[in-house]
Amino acid sequence: MSGSRLFRFPKPQWLNSANARTTGVYLSGALFSLGFFFFVDAASYSKSARNGSVYHVTFVDWIPGICSSLGMLVINSIDKSRLSADSFSYSGNSVAWKARLVLFLGFALLAGGLAGSVTVLVLKYVVKEVGFPTLWFGVANVIANALIMMSSAILWVAQNMEDEYTYNLAL
Amino acid sequence: MTMAGLRTIIALSFVLAIGFLLVILSSALWQNYLPLLVVATYVVAPIPNWLCGRAATSDDFGAESHGVVDFGRWLTGFLVVMGMALPAMFAHCALISYPAMVMSITGGLLIYGTIITFTMFFQEDPDF
Repeated sequence: MSGSRLFRFPKPQWLNSANARTTGVYLSGALFSLGFFFFVDAASYSKSARNGSVYHVTFVDWIPGICSSLGMLVINSIDKSRLSADSFSYSGNSVAWKARLVLFLGFALLAGGLAGSVTVLVLKYVVKEVGFPTLWFGVANVIANALIMMSSAILWVAQNMEDEYTYNLAL
Repeated sequence: MTMAGLRTIIALSFVLAIGFLLVILSSALWQNYLPLLVVATYVVAPIPNWLCGRAATSDDFGAESHGVVDFGRWLTGFLVVMGMALPAMFAHCALISYPAMVMSITGGLLIYGTIITFTMFFQEDPDF
């Protein structure tokens, strides 16, 4: 295992404990919830009495968030061990190729969500030069998508952590 | 030992009562019963962990069981933050006032802390 290591610094040992993995999963859920409610806050603020402007959160604002959440679902529902399945002889039918394709789609959805939220922020709010209470709709959208991306990254790392942990147990 | 356990349970029930008092006051003082959703969220929050823990015990070393347990934990993390994010969102959107937000978040955290402490106490019992 140490012979196949790529980087000069080894992974710290505490990253392989089961506690760190559990904490990572909880943290991922918390971050997703935070991002989701940032956006729901913007959406309900646009409906509330405090919104004096003519701008409202419509379905267009929801699309990046939906893309990000779908991407997170796709990425984290793939079995990670299938990614290197081609290097073993017992797996035929090019499972790894399919897994990598689906994974690429997931990452594309995630990145597209973040890019789409910036697009909505610029095209719908910044170009029209609206002030801050209204600009919050776009900013909250970007924050929400960034948090969803961070949450899925943490969940990914936590699940890989678990693989390393069981591997160490097996040796 | 039993006296300490009894005292802990009495203290916990007091904390639970104070939590419920805060949440109910935060909704009743303004005749606006939206903060009661916080109680519902925190009562629901430990349920995914229980369910997924039961679902995973059938095969301890399978690959799927980890996924189910992780999903339960993820959902718990989601619900705990939701309990804090909901009142903040209501207050920001002028559905409830800011003092109501502070009271309901404090009360919700007290309720959830009580539930977690109780489950920790009851999970230690079968070991003996």
